[in-house]
Amino acid sequence: MSWYTLLFGPNGWIGLLLNGAAVTVALALTTVPFGFGAGLLIAVMKLSKYRLLRGACAAYTTFFRGIPDLLALFIVYFGLQALIDKIGTWLGMDGHLEVSAFTAGVIALSVVVAAYSAEVWVASIAAVPPGQSEAALSLGLTPRQVFRKVVLPQLGRVALPGLGNIWMVLQKDTALISTLAVTDLLRAASEASRATTRPLVFYTAAALLYLAFSTVSVWGQSWLERRANRGYS
Amino acid sequence: MDRVLGFILNIGLLKDYGFRLVLGLQMTLTVVGLSCAMGFVLAFPICWLRMSRNMLLSYSAMGYTNLFRGTPLLCQLYLIYYGGGEFRPFFQETGIWWFFRDAYYCCILGFTLNTAAYQSEILRGAIQSIPKGQIEAARALGLHRGAILRHIIFPQAMLVAVRPLGNEVISVVKASAVAAVVTLLDLMGQTRFIFARTFDFSIYLYCALIYLAITETISRLVNAGEHRLSAHIRARAPADARQESRSTTVHRSTEVTPA
Amino acid sequence: MTTEFLRRATLGLGLAATLMAAPALAKDWKTVRIGMDATYPPFESVSPKGDIVGFEVDYAKELCSRMKVTCTFQNQDWDGIIPSLIANKFDVIISSMNITPKRKELVAFTDYYYSTAPVFVGLASNKSDDVSPAALKGKTIGTQSSTTFANYLEKLYKGSEVKLYPGGDEPQNDLKAGRLDYTVTDIIVGSTFVDKVGDGCCRIVAKIDRAANSDVFGPGVGAAVRKEDTDLLAMFNKAIAELDADGTFKKVAGKYFTVDIRGK
Repeated sequence: MSWYTLLFGPNGWIGLLLNGAAVTVALALTTVPFGFGAGLLIAVMKLSKYRLLRGACAAYTTFFRGIPDLLALFIVYFGLQALIDKIGTWLGMDGHLEVSAFTAGVIALSVVVAAYSAEVWVASIAAVPPGQSEAALSLGLTPRQVFRKVVLPQLGRVALPGLGNIWMVLQKDTALISTLAVTDLLRAASEASRATTRPLVFYTAAALLYLAFSTVSVWGQSWLERRANRGYS
Repeated sequence: MDRVLGFILNIGLLKDYGFRLVLGLQMTLTVVGLSCAMGFVLAFPICWLRMSRNMLLSYSAMGYTNLFRGTPLLCQLYLIYYGGGEFRPFFQETGIWWFFRDAYYCCILGFTLNTAAYQSEILRGAIQSIPKGQIEAARALGLHRGAILRHIIFPQAMLVAVRPLGNEVISVVKASAVAAVVTLLDLMGQTRFIFARTFDFSIYLYCALIYLAITETISRLVNAGEHRLSAHIRARAPADARQESRSTTVHRSTEVTPA
Repeated sequence: MTTEFLRRATLGLGLAATLMAAPALAKDWKTVRIGMDATYPPFESVSPKGDIVGFEVDYAKELCSRMKVTCTFQNQDWDGIIPSLIANKFDVIISSMNITPKRKELVAFTDYYYSTAPVFVGLASNKSDDVSPAALKGKTIGTQSSTTFANYLEKLYKGSEVKLYPGGDEPQNDLKAGRLDYTVTDIIVGSTFVDKVGDGCCRIVAKIDRAANSDVFGPGVGAAVRKEDTDLLAMFNKAIAELDADGTFKKVAGKYFTVDIRGK
C-alpha cells in the first residue's frame, strides 16, 4: 500500500492522527494555566520567610527537575489516584473522585511543568528592581499589595522567554504521556504503524505535525514577546 | 493500596533486584556518555555550517537543528528503530543491518543526533557571545582565521558553553529514559522489568533517587568545573562571582530558530 | 473529518476544565469501566477510527448487557494495567489476562472465559520446528513484557536473549523487521498476524503445551477486578456462566474465530 492510501484511503489513519494531534494540543494548552500557575505559587513560597516552606519547595523542584520526565509522569500518574482515594477514605467519603486519563495526564504534566516554571518565576521576580518594592513599601503598601500591584504585573513580560522554553518542552513531553494511556499524536501514530506494519509513514507524519506545532509556537512566542515589550525597547 | 502508593521504601526489594538496577545504571551511563561525546564532536561541524555565509549550508544546518529540537525524542527514536526496520533489505545489502538491528545502537544514534542539534546551538550561542570587536582587533593585528579561532574565540566560547553543555548532559540523562520503550534495559527499563515482576511501586522511587543522584552529581561537577575555569575572570571582577546562578538542573532551552 | 477534529479539540479543552472535580459514586455499579491494552488483535486493537475493537470488546458488551450496566472502554498500557486497576482508573481488566498466582496476590479473577495455546512465531525462512531451549540457545526471542509469555521465557530459555516490548503486537512487528528470531504470543494473535499483516514474513513454528506449563500460564484468561469488589466479581461470574449456557459466547466467538477458544 502506498503511503497515500495508508493515510487518506478508505481505511486511512489520518483521522486518528488528527484526533491524536488535537489531544496533544489540548493536553499542552490545558496544562499551561495549571502548570505555570502552580509554578508561580511555588516561586512565591520559595521567597517566603518560613524556612520549612522554602525547604519543601526546594525539595519539590529539585526532585522533579532532577528525574526523567517520563518517570515523573509515571509516578504522578499512578501515585496520584491512589493518593486521592486515600484522602477520600480518610475524609470518610464513599466512592472516589473520577479522574479521566486525560485529566490525569494534565495533572502529571502540570506537576513537572510547575517545577520547571518555578525557577523561571523566581528569576523573574528577582529581575524586578528592588528599588520599586522599596519605594512601594515606603509609600505604605503592605508586602502583599507590593507583590500584587507592583511585582506581579511586570512578571509576565520578564518571564516570557523562559516560559516559552518550557512551553516547547511541554509540547514534546506530551508525547511521553503516550506511553501511559492517552491516545495523543504519538500513540495514534504508533497504533497505526503497528496495525499496518508501516511505521515509517506514520512516524514521519507525526514528526511533521510536531514540527508544525513547534514552528507555530515560535511564531506565537515572538509575537507575544514583541507585544509584551512594547514601550520597553 | 499501600503497595501501589509505595511511599515507604521496601528494602528487601533492593536485595533481590539491586543488581538489576546496577546493570541498568551501567547501561544508562554508557549510552548517555557515548551519545554526549559523539554529539559534542558532531556539534562543531553543524555549528560551523549553521554559521556559514553560504545560505544553502546554513539553512540545511538550521533545518537539522529545528527538526531534532522541534520533535519529541521518543518520536525520533521510534522513527529510527521501527522506521529503520522498514529499510532492512537496503541495510542488509549495504552491510549495516547489524547496527539498526540492535536497540542499543539505535538509541545511541538517536540520542547522538538529538543532542548534537542542541549542543550545536549552545556552541553557536557561545561563539556569538564574544564581542565582535575582539575579532576585528585580532584581524587588525594580523592574526589569521585559524589563530583567531584557536586563541580568541575557542577559549572564551568554551567557558561560556560549560554550563549549558553540562545542563545538556543532564537533559540527555533524563531524556534517555525513553530508551526503555524500544526494549533497551537501561535504568528505566530495568525498573519497569522489576516492577513487572514484583508490582512493587517503590522500585520507581528508588529509580528516581538514582537518577536524582546522577543529575545532582553532574550539576555539582559542572559548577565546580566552571568555578575553576573562570578563576581568571573572577579575580578581576569579584562582584560577578556573586551573580553566579544557583540553579542546578536546568531543562533544555529548546526554542527553535524561526526561519 | 475536519469538524470531527474541531469537535474533539474543543471537547478536550472543555472536558479538561470541567472534569477536574466530578465526583462519581462507583459502588452501585450502574457503569463499569473496562480497561484493556488494545495492542492484541483480534482480541482488542484500535481501529483507524480510533475505537477499540475486537472479540473481547464484543464479549464485554454482552457481559455488560447481561449485568444491566453501562460499560465504558479505556485503553491502557499493559505494564500499568494492574496498577491502574488498583488505582481505580477503571473497574475491571478484560484484556486477555491469564490467571496466575502472582497476579492473584493483587487482584481477584473471574472464572476463565477463554484458554488458548501460546505459540512460537518464527521467520518463514526458518525451516526448523525445534523450539527447545537448547535449539534456541543464543537466539533472540521477543515478547510483551509483564506477560505469562515473558515469565515462560525467563524460566526456561535462559540461554536465549529475551527482548521485552511494551505492546502485544510490537514483537511480531519486530520479527517481521528482522530484529528477532522468534516471538512468543497467543496462537490466535500469532495466526492473525501471520495471515493478515505478515506479508509472508513469518509462520507459526510450534505450540507450547499449556497444560504441561500450567504453573506459568494458569488455567486461562479471566477478567480481573479489585479484591474488595466482591459484588462485581460475582456479577461477572454469573454473566460469564449465562453467556456460556445460552450460546452467546459461541455466537460472538464465531464472528472472529474458526476454532474453539473456550477451552472447556
